[in-house]
Amino acid sequence: MENRASLGPKKIGGVSVSLLYKIFGGVLFAYLFLGFMVVPCLNTLLSVFREKNPETGAVEPLRVINYFFSGTMPSFVFNSLKLAVVLVITVNVVGISIVLLTEYFDIKGAKILRLGYMTTLIYSGMALVTGYQFLYGRDGMMTQWLYNMFPQINKQWFGGFYAVLFTMTFACTSNHALFLRNAIRGIDYNTVEAARNMGAKPFKVLFKVVMPTLLPTLFSLTVMTFITGLCAMSAPKLLGYNSINPQIVELAGKTKGDIAFPQAQAALMSIILALFTIILLTTLNHYERKGHYLSVSKTKAKLVKQKIQNPVSNVLAHIYAYVLFIIYMLPVVMIILFSFQSFGAVNAKKPSVDSITTVNYYGSEDIEIPREGRKPRVVTNAVTGVFSNPKTVNGIRLSFVLAAAAAALACVIVVVAVNYIFKHKNRKRAALIEGCLLFPWLLPTILICYSYRIFFNEKIWYVFNQNLCMGDNVRLLLIIAYTVVKLPFALRMIKAAFYAIDEELEEAARNLGASGLVTFLRVKLPIILPSVLAVFALNFNALFTEYDMSATFFNPSAVTYARVIESMSSPEIQNDYNAAGRQCASTVFIMIVSGLVLYLVYGIGARDLGERLERRDKRKKRIQKMKAALHLPAKAEAKAVE
Amino acid sequence: MIELHDIVVKFGAFEALHNINVTVNEGEFFTFLGPSGCGKTTTLRTITGFIEPVSGEVLMQGQDITHVPIEKRNIGIVFQSYALFPTMTVYDNIAFGLKIKKLKKDEIRDKVNTIARKVDLSDEQLKKAVSQLSGGQQQRVAIARALVTEPAIICMDEPLSNLDAKLRVQLRNELKKMQREFGITTIYVTHDQEEALTLSDRIAVFNKGYIEQIGTPNEVYNHSQTEFVANFIGDINRLGDGITSSLQLPAGKNHFIRLERVRVNRDREAGEYQTQGVIESREYYGLYIKYYITVAGQTVKVIEKNDGISIYEVGDTVTVGIHPRDVMSYDEQE
Repeated sequence: MENRASLGPKKIGGVSVSLLYKIFGGVLFAYLFLGFMVVPCLNTLLSVFREKNPETGAVEPLRVINYFFSGTMPSFVFNSLKLAVVLVITVNVVGISIVLLTEYFDIKGAKILRLGYMTTLIYSGMALVTGYQFLYGRDGMMTQWLYNMFPQINKQWFGGFYAVLFTMTFACTSNHALFLRNAIRGIDYNTVEAARNMGAKPFKVLFKVVMPTLLPTLFSLTVMTFITGLCAMSAPKLLGYNSINPQIVELAGKTKGDIAFPQAQAALMSIILALFTIILLTTLNHYERKGHYLSVSKTKAKLVKQKIQNPVSNVLAHIYAYVLFIIYMLPVVMIILFSFQSFGAVNAKKPSVDSITTVNYYGSEDIEIPREGRKPRVVTNAVTGVFSNPKTVNGIRLSFVLAAAAAALACVIVVVAVNYIFKHKNRKRAALIEGCLLFPWLLPTILICYSYRIFFNEKIWYVFNQNLCMGDNVRLLLIIAYTVVKLPFALRMIKAAFYAIDEELEEAARNLGASGLVTFLRVKLPIILPSVLAVFALNFNALFTEYDMSATFFNPSAVTYARVIESMSSPEIQNDYNAAGRQCASTVFIMIVSGLVLYLVYGIGARDLGERLERRDKRKKRIQKMKAALHLPAKAEAKAVE
Repeated sequence: MIELHDIVVKFGAFEALHNINVTVNEGEFFTFLGPSGCGKTTTLRTITGFIEPVSGEVLMQGQDITHVPIEKRNIGIVFQSYALFPTMTVYDNIAFGLKIKKLKKDEIRDKVNTIARKVDLSDEQLKKAVSQLSGGQQQRVAIARALVTEPAIICMDEPLSNLDAKLRVQLRNELKKMQREFGITTIYVTHDQEEALTLSDRIAVFNKGYIEQIGTPNEVYNHSQTEFVANFIGDINRLGDGITSSLQLPAGKNHFIRLERVRVNRDREAGEYQTQGVIESREYYGLYIKYYITVAGQTVKVIEKNDGISIYEVGDTVTVGIHPRDVMSYDEQE
């Protein structure tokens, strides 16, 4: 009995320590959820009901709504919807094409093609849009080339709806390249063979056997694409297309002097956006719950690529595949090429071997501007590289810190929460916490950022009476915003990782004497760590080049890397001669960082302990061999001397 | 020694264990046997501390451990899945418990090496990841990990169930050998009666949260105390009215005879009942042959050693003999 007493829970002042932890954790969670999700967003949404009629002084939400619908705002909503609907079609066509061409049909050079189609995984958002603009914009290389052939074309052709559609069609196939590819690889080839055996022709097999198993994935991808189109930001903003998100950002900077009810109008637009998102995601969730077509086969056969029998179709398929490849690769190749060219070559869009330089990456140059009859004017440091240009370096540094902090924070919050959720499975508390963490998924990112920008732009008592939009405080606000929007993704991924922990492992650790904390740190955490690091890396990747959110805060303390890149393409910049070249170099830098992150996550991170040990052994053996090769002759010589 | 007194376990309204009483002696290999859902694993988990009983007590060497936390019980476990930590090497898996106890590094190394030698794990294998080992090697790691902390008893929860048939038999023998060498009290859970019979010193047969019988393998097989035990362990014939009346067995009871106790074409022993039967069908097993013989209006299953002499064709008429001393009788249950 003595023994038992000493084994009881630790207590402080009659209250058990674990209870104190729970209370503290619960209060903190509630503070964060209410303070940084519910209250700011609610403030925005309720602004519609706060606007007063200046004449009567009465609150008239209907008047605001009427005003909203009679103004230009509905056209922005319509534009966004139009973009989303058309994008769903084009992205699916291109996305399904690239996956079928590389995974299902036997196309020559599929490996190279796949690399090309996957380039959007390493650059997206602002970097991609500026790249397309660099190529197809007014002074773009392709435009120049087209103009030389057809002088009657409008050099401004790359703008508006079709430019946005074109850019986003190819930019948004990343998810197809990842998820649809996995789905098609999961197909049991025996089912294809069975269909063929029963007399089905190849295309019949494709449509009747293969496609139906891809439908659930395609449905999810369609919903995701629709939401992407609806919430598009960088492409419409840069290419000049009036849709919802750029408009909300614009409204965020307006006062009542500029426009009537800026806040209420932004709120109404956010509500419309949120409604669409909620309806779509609920449908998706409902659909996903109905279950997927899981392969029932225990002995899956690997998919064998289908040769297109008809020679004409085969040639056409190859042409189609390589045209797509060129569209994907052209910006990448050109960006890399021009990132190593002098500003003169970049401006003239005429690359040459003589103009090769690394100054767009590092270093600086002065420029002499010839003046008639006088000494040339020297502009010092007119040309600077990515890592020598203070503005760019600051942007990179800021984005790096913000992205790393937010990605880490999201991981920590979600790991702690999921550990709790798994301990209290089937309890209401667990479901509540999960719901709270998934909540930002339902809200458009722009609504969260807009709400932060408006709500925290005054002293708020529960953030120590600070104005979080003022000065450097905005960086903290950005970290919070980044963290909040990345929570749902982190939750989905890390929860899946927790399912991989066998309950018996936990029991084994407990049986061997480990406490709850030790079990978590030594047994559970190492198992989920690869997934957690993957989530961290992917979130970091996305946030490092994030544009939409930081653009909402016009604050000079929130000039992130993507905003620096954007500024390089604005024509007003003066004395920044190599802005375009530095922009290309920036994009290359982003591609390298993203590529590295993806390699770490999917290459190294996916290896288990066994694989790692095997590789280490191989490395050791190689080193030994090398050493032996170096030492043996030396020894032999020594012997000969003796 | 471990004792369970009147253990009752409830899951919500469902009573999973009803007054379980078991005493496992020092150094004994004791098996909990029963179909799935019978309460054998629940009983094991009550001993290891993963489940707290509603009432009753668990005693180890005479001390009440009913409410002692899992990690303080000094009971080793080998899990069904082995539960080897996938992120650690074999060495780190075995050393885990010792590290938790904060033993010195040298001491840990000595202990791990000693136990590894005993369970036949090489130094090379100690450096590997558990995923690089075969099923049999993984099992040895699990046993080493459970034994290295020198527990008073070791519990094994169906440790052979996820292996293929051949390996299962092989490891069964190794298990028994190891247990004999270490001399450690072992509680073993299985639904496989062959495993239970070959391994155990004593067996407790579980059914629906009750213990039907505790006894040696011979006792539970040849002197099954209940109809459930008789049916669950081994194959058995239930004798129909035709045979029971000829044998003058008491009415109102169910009578059974094991397959190998039915005698075919043998000389009649004193007190034996003999009659003619016709071979209805047969199953060829190699080591033995199983015959289905129609006798006195019912089918009787018989096992005959494949000795080359007693091979019968379908349709053959044979003499079937049953001795009353081989018949097990049980009261008819409501």
